[in-house]
Amino acid sequence: MDPFATLGLPRRYALDLAVAEKAHRELSRALHPDRYAQAGASERRDALSRAVAVNEAFRTVRDPVSRAEALMTLLGIAVGDGHEPKADPAFLMDMLEQREALAEARASRNAVAIADLRDALRATELGAQAELAAGFDSGRAAELVGKLGELRFYRRFIDEAQAILDDLSDCASTA
Amino acid sequence: MLFEIFDPKAAPRPVGIDLGTTNSLVAYVKNDKPFAISNCDGEVLLPSVVAYDDDEIVVGTVAKKHAFERPSDTIVSVKRFVGRGADDAETRRLGPYHFVAPAPGEPNVVRFRVGGGRVVNPVEVSAEILRELKSRAEDELGRVGGVVITVPAYFDDAQRQATKDAGRLAGLDVLRLLNEPTAAALAYGLDKNSSGHFAVYDLGGGTFDITTLLLDDGVFQVKSTGGDSALGGDDMDRALAEDMLCALGWMEAEKARPHSLTPHPRLSPAVVRLVLDKAREVKHALTSRDAVEVQVPLSTGGEQHLTVTRGRFEELIAPLLERTGVACRRALRDAGLEASQLDGVILVGGSTRVPAVRAYVERIFGRAPLADIDAEQVVAYGAAIQADLLAGSGPRQDVLLLDVLPLSLGIEVGGGVVDKILPRNTTIPVGARGSYTTQEDNQTGFEIHVVQGERELVGDCRSLARFTLKGIPPMPAGIARLEVGFRVDADGLLSVHAKEATTGLEQTVAVKPSYGLDDAAVEQMLLEALDHGEDDLRARRVAEGRVEAGRIALATDKALAADFDLLEAGERDAIMGALGELRAAASGSDPSRITAKIDTLDAATQAFAGRRMNRAIARAISGKRVDDLSRDVAGAKGVEAHLEEHRR
Repeated sequence: MDPFATLGLPRRYALDLAVAEKAHRELSRALHPDRYAQAGASERRDALSRAVAVNEAFRTVRDPVSRAEALMTLLGIAVGDGHEPKADPAFLMDMLEQREALAEARASRNAVAIADLRDALRATELGAQAELAAGFDSGRAAELVGKLGELRFYRRFIDEAQAILDDLSDCASTA
Repeated sequence: MLFEIFDPKAAPRPVGIDLGTTNSLVAYVKNDKPFAISNCDGEVLLPSVVAYDDDEIVVGTVAKKHAFERPSDTIVSVKRFVGRGADDAETRRLGPYHFVAPAPGEPNVVRFRVGGGRVVNPVEVSAEILRELKSRAEDELGRVGGVVITVPAYFDDAQRQATKDAGRLAGLDVLRLLNEPTAAALAYGLDKNSSGHFAVYDLGGGTFDITTLLLDDGVFQVKSTGGDSALGGDDMDRALAEDMLCALGWMEAEKARPHSLTPHPRLSPAVVRLVLDKAREVKHALTSRDAVEVQVPLSTGGEQHLTVTRGRFEELIAPLLERTGVACRRALRDAGLEASQLDGVILVGGSTRVPAVRAYVERIFGRAPLADIDAEQVVAYGAAIQADLLAGSGPRQDVLLLDVLPLSLGIEVGGGVVDKILPRNTTIPVGARGSYTTQEDNQTGFEIHVVQGERELVGDCRSLARFTLKGIPPMPAGIARLEVGFRVDADGLLSVHAKEATTGLEQTVAVKPSYGLDDAAVEQMLLEALDHGEDDLRARRVAEGRVEAGRIALATDKALAADFDLLEAGERDAIMGALGELRAAASGSDPSRITAKIDTLDAATQAFAGRRMNRAIARAISGKRVDDLSRDVAGAKGVEAHLEEHRR
């Protein structure tokens, strides 16, 4: 399944989200089950399957990690468990330090420090995305598998930091 | 009877139903505007109360009067029990009912023992309310066509399925389940022709929803939703009732756990019902007054006086409001929005009449909320508009609702841990796939436990269903590859299908809902609900078949007219032939013949339908809308001229 083709988008990592959103919306207008409420059973089933495919495709291309995975799969590069090389030890060391800092900030309920850590990683994440975009465009996709691994780390870290911040603000507001 | 219902002169009209915790209503669209349908006394709101007396069932205002005399036989706020297990926490709260535990092997649903020695479940009680609304709509419109029923956005799969089952049991053709906040947004958005980001704060009698959505160019795209399907005006009443009972000395707070109340042994169901009703009256009165005096009659004669101030009431409901606040903040975060970025906040639900609720919403969102469409009717209006759209009769064909999954879906993996397969707030319809293998040699069955919720452990999430895959070919352990597909449709309902990848064999999937009725149980209720069992069921099947046949014939006619150029040689004749046969079958009274002819037409149009869909996709991708195209065509030559050419 090619999510780019499903949405009628060019097969590129550098993606204009607004264009993807518009494609998703117009395809939903054409295929949403509401459009086929009066149709016969097989037509309804067909439309439902296609609407599901459109939503799945949009979910895939919207997310920077799954978009890279989809592109690599389409280029015949194996990704996922057991296919990717081990991460660079220096990178792992760096992430370990970041995690320790996050754990400390959490223990001391320091929301400012957590937000700083999150924002720093966000900047790094954007850098990694730019590298991926350039690499895919210049046909060096096979060399990017390691970068994709790093991107996953950043994403997980940012999500965790955000979850901690959310918990802190919920507790503060109900206390 | 049949003759009257299928009066060919009256075209079936689509309607929208708000099946509420406290009140329900039905609405329809006339001249592009939604109208609520009232009964002969001019009442629009039907109290969601069903009284089961020894020999009759009454619904609404009349049933409400029975609630005091026969508190255990009169089911109030049944929505709070819909789709819940017999052991649900809801059954242990302050209330006047007699619950019946399911016998071993029976579905795990709430059951009430009511008058006449009957035992009823929430689906049956809800169906009584829907039947009443149906007959109200039939009195006004002649015939009722497709129906949209609203549900709280935060309803899980079991609660949605139960609502749909109730519709079917009431003899309704349920086109869609629509989320209540989305319905309200539809009514507001189309009325005001607005665009931008909106939040809908919906606090009803028993449920709370918060939804954020983006309105743009006719598309209502839900960005996030959250809530609590057991939080509403009833909880305010209960908190107040418990406070009043304590003040009267009929209930005591435990010394060790001050928040845990113990009812006095002499507290009867009738007193509980009375005090709950009094509490509701007090709540209503406090909307415009600062203090209310209550008289509670005593069983020993005389009455006791009690004063409740608005301050005390607001103190009691503050924790409830805080719970809505947490959900609001989460919904904003999930949508990636700040409160200041919103273009409007819409108030929905009777409980938003409480001044403290309005003040709280204003504080959370930093702006005065919109409440200019009746908060108790706006949801039904939205449902009516959606029903009209689905029936294809409305002029607003570019309007589209894109809703989301309210709770994450996951499956149980080893050690009672949840593996999330679809996160909350994913746009529906949506699918996900998983790959599994067998644990033992020659294992021919495989069970998948699906849960809904945000927590990591199965025990902390809500169990939805166990799907058993059967007929896996015998193989050594670990060889079979089961490809399991999960799909959530536009009603938010889950289905599962599976294939064994090495052999390509489709597996049958047996569903055992954790808190609900399986298909057989629904069939059985359907049969029991009809006076003459099999005969009535056959008549109903004929009726349903005719509606379906009429719908498909019309859709086929429209498709032939719109995309005649996509027909291949001979296809048109085959379709016309199948159409003729279907029309003939529909004028007869053999339900299986109608079904068979529907299938024939379906097969004859399948390839054509696929080509039409491809065309729709191509147009969508090239950025052209069908209405633009038809204008282009009309400008060039005229649609009628095209059609005329084709007919010749």
